[in-house]
Amino acid sequence: MKRMYILAMVLIGVSIFLLFNAAEDLSTYATFSEAINNESTVKIAGNLSKDKKMDYNPEKDPNYFSFFIKDSKGIEKKVILFAAKPQDFELSEQIVVTGQMKGEVFYASDLLMKCPSKYKDEEIYIKSEKRS
Amino acid sequence: MDQINYVGEHLWAGKLGHFIVLATFISSILSAVSYYFFVKKEEKGWLILGRSAFITHSVAVFSVIGLIFFIMIKKYYEYQYVWTHVSDELPMQYIFAAFWEGQEGSFLLWMFWNAILGLIILSRRNQWESSVLAIFAVVQAVLSSMILGVYVGWDTFSIKLGSSPFQLLRDTMDAPIFGQADYLELIKGNGLNPLLQNYWMTIHPPTLFLGFSSTLVPFAFALAGLWVKDHQNWLKPAFPWALFSAGILGIGILMGGAWAYEALSFGGYWAWDPVENMSLVPWLILIAGIHTHLITQSTGQSLKSTYFFYLLSFALVVYSTFLTRSGILGETSVHAFTEMGLEAQLLFFLGIVFVIPFLLLLLRYKTIPTPEKEEALSSKEFWIFMGSLVLFFSSVLIAGSTSLPVFNKIRQIFEPTYLGSVITDPIPHYNKYQIWIALFVIILSSAAQYLRFREINWAKNRNKFLINTGIHLLISLVLFYPSYQWLQLTAWQYNLLLFASLYGVVANLAVLVSYFQTKTKWVSSVISHTGFGLMIIGILSSGLNQKIISNNPFIMDGLIEGASDESLRKNILIFKDAPMRMQQYEVNYQSDSLDNYTRSYTLKFVEHNKDNQRIDSFNLKPTVIYDKSFTKIAASNPATHRYWDRDIFTHIASLPQVEMDMELRKQKEDSLKYNALNISLNKAFVHADTQYIEDQDTQVVRKYNILITNVDFAPSHPEYKPQKGDLAIGIDMKMVRDDDDKVIYAKPVIVLRENLLYSYPVQINEWSTRIRLPERVFEDLYTFEDDLTYKAFRLGVNESMVQNENEIIFEGYVRNPVTPDYTPEEGDLAVGANLMVKSKSGKSYRVMPVFLIRKGEPLNVKAEIPALGIHLRFPLLDPKTEKAEISYAFAPKKNNPIAIDFSTEALRSDYIVLEAIEFPGINLFWGGSSLMMLGLLLGMVIKLTNKIKD
Repeated sequence: MKRMYILAMVLIGVSIFLLFNAAEDLSTYATFSEAINNESTVKIAGNLSKDKKMDYNPEKDPNYFSFFIKDSKGIEKKVILFAAKPQDFELSEQIVVTGQMKGEVFYASDLLMKCPSKYKDEEIYIKSEKRS
Repeated sequence: MDQINYVGEHLWAGKLGHFIVLATFISSILSAVSYYFFVKKEEKGWLILGRSAFITHSVAVFSVIGLIFFIMIKKYYEYQYVWTHVSDELPMQYIFAAFWEGQEGSFLLWMFWNAILGLIILSRRNQWESSVLAIFAVVQAVLSSMILGVYVGWDTFSIKLGSSPFQLLRDTMDAPIFGQADYLELIKGNGLNPLLQNYWMTIHPPTLFLGFSSTLVPFAFALAGLWVKDHQNWLKPAFPWALFSAGILGIGILMGGAWAYEALSFGGYWAWDPVENMSLVPWLILIAGIHTHLITQSTGQSLKSTYFFYLLSFALVVYSTFLTRSGILGETSVHAFTEMGLEAQLLFFLGIVFVIPFLLLLLRYKTIPTPEKEEALSSKEFWIFMGSLVLFFSSVLIAGSTSLPVFNKIRQIFEPTYLGSVITDPIPHYNKYQIWIALFVIILSSAAQYLRFREINWAKNRNKFLINTGIHLLISLVLFYPSYQWLQLTAWQYNLLLFASLYGVVANLAVLVSYFQTKTKWVSSVISHTGFGLMIIGILSSGLNQKIISNNPFIMDGLIEGASDESLRKNILIFKDAPMRMQQYEVNYQSDSLDNYTRSYTLKFVEHNKDNQRIDSFNLKPTVIYDKSFTKIAASNPATHRYWDRDIFTHIASLPQVEMDMELRKQKEDSLKYNALNISLNKAFVHADTQYIEDQDTQVVRKYNILITNVDFAPSHPEYKPQKGDLAIGIDMKMVRDDDDKVIYAKPVIVLRENLLYSYPVQINEWSTRIRLPERVFEDLYTFEDDLTYKAFRLGVNESMVQNENEIIFEGYVRNPVTPDYTPEEGDLAVGANLMVKSKSGKSYRVMPVFLIRKGEPLNVKAEIPALGIHLRFPLLDPKTEKAEISYAFAPKKNNPIAIDFSTEALRSDYIVLEAIEFPGINLFWGGSSLMMLGLLLGMVIKLTNKIKD
């Protein structure tokens, strides 16, 4: 049984080592000012600037969607995503984009939206025929 | 506030519901306590009490579920749970899906399976009933507390225990509508999320929850073994349960993958989502436990590991529940439920299942028997144990990474400013570790098949082992070449894994072949391990070799700054009836149709070979589902064409705005600016249109050459269904735009039906142009009855007359006539005048005005020759002379210019944005993974039948 213990210890050791080693796969949420001075891929959490123009015109390019977000420090930048505009994009409360800053524009390879929960924003549907 | 006497509520259901929920809680505690005392004191009374309480508990659980179904089917919207998950439109087939969509429902589903499994164990009445069911009852008590919805404590110290499915809507929400006593008349349900309205939502959750719930059985047996200090006798009855649980949980997880792949637009079956991970981890641990269990039963070794794995498996199920339901995962998962205030209770549950079992394991550690002799390196048990350790190792890595939000939370307690870290790119992060784990597992599970338990004569077995392994490696090498050709994997790691998988399949299949001679009892393990090898090949081919086919080869690279990465460009724009080439497929968006809230698109794929010859064609119908107001797309459901060796997966990524939002479409149509044109028949007309080009900020003048070729008084239009009495005008137009040679034909139509106007415009999508006819067209072109002056003539049979150079011949009477404008009614006395009209140009027209007497009133039905401008009536029949009175009116065709409304600002609405992916070899994944689960369930059946034989 001794051999087993040694093996188990080795494996647990390796797994702890690997998990710590995985630190390079991790990132904290960055801000735009940090991203400007950084070549690597970062994640930025921000709020959609609803007053700025959102551009998605599939007739021109179905893989080009641009919008503006404001990060936690209040800095606003243009984000370009080479994909279709996600459904319900306007409704999102918070947006997390993964990508790189090139010049004044953030090029996103991935986008996650946090939408208001179905239960928070409840409204009562009124039967239409009864209303009139 | 005034007390309002609400009308139409069914409060009895809620009161009854609360009572039964309370009963489930109390009866489970009673059962746990009674069984506990029976284990301690072995007095029969306690056993009877424990049993009756457990049966009562189960009946109460079934009743709660039944009652919720009842109020859901009856649509008692006064209950928040009903209102949230059901709506008037919800088809009955989704009532189950609606039931377990919510947290309360899924807790009840879990309790339901626990109760069923508990009753099965109870019915066996063996020595383990009391100790195992005591543990069951404790778990059921904790689960019941999640749906209690009662406040305990005093004043400021009161806490809410659980969230009841019987809460009233008006207690959970504050809305002005509850000021009305008859509010129930006015509300309708929210309904099931359209994304979840498919059959997977009916079959996946119950299967997965049966899987989760069944991990409780090996857990409870192991815990009972520790409790009563009997480390031997639980092993045998627990084994088939463990196999059952692993099989069902595995099927449940696979169903989730199949659902994601088939019905959701994720574009894959596994995304390393936290919720997926946390259902996989207990399964991996359970598999590790089954393997050490096998060792224990064969050699007596590894019992401590078996305890550890079985206890951990269920504890991890609870941990997974905690992660998904406490809201801690936040935005990292698509699956996570929202917070419900159950965090504290879930944490308590988690504490119980981690602290008590492992504390007990430590306490009893010394008493667990371990054989003196260490297993030999050449023995089967050693390598199986290695495999279990590797699986455990895999679980630690997955669970560790998935728990990152938990570590963040913990760190934030001590360091509130800590932002928290996230995995930048989850999929490669998980893949890079799991690929090596898969490699180890495959090698171990294949080579170990040829080793023996408690090897004492390795020298004898060694040669056999080496020869077998050599042959298998050789066959795998031969198979590797074509596989390599097919998959073309570039990284050596993947090729190594491919080779190992082939070896795994070969080695295990070889055992299967020998099964038919030796009838080895390991047949089920061989099936599972073959399946594992196939599954890995399937993952390599469909995961690494998936090919996005929806990229447009013609797109000009560099047009858009930064658009260099082709792999990111996943979508293609396809116009209706304009076939588009993507890779070897030519795709044509042929049509679309709307059924309720679902719009389905018919896409025709034609596949070509390298010589550009057509080899196959098929239709795919991806769909989108609108939300209730038709203002947005609630869900986009993919469509997949299956070949034996690959799948073609498509889904609609986007649509024109006016197709997604009908509200917007109407607005756009109402606010569309038209140019009013006046165009004479058969005269060339040029319309110069100034258009603004947005991205270049300039204007351009486009010229449209328009020729009206015909005015049609019996027009056709795709949407117009002619009815009797319609006055209709269609204008045939032929147009060319100055920048293009293409001739466009259009025919807008306008119809006057019972004083209402119906316009049938024409949309020319290629030109973003819309043409409609204004009301004025009628005045321009149509001669109304009031404007006509009739002259009367009397004609005998075969007599004729000439009017405005047209000859009119009366050819005789027709009894019971049927004409386009006259439909006989019962009691009519009708006769038609058969008239032949010959124009000056020599054309003949046959018409039949009708004279009739209906209910004593003389009436007549007119006949018209629009081309000649002739109107004919038959108002009187002279019975004496048998001559017919024919009224004649002439109105020359109006030659006014024709009014046309012409807009070049109409938005195009005839395209889809499509994503299409080819998944080669995906059936190896489904087949292989299904074989794994089949093997587990077969193992269970074999164990059970052997037991009966014993």
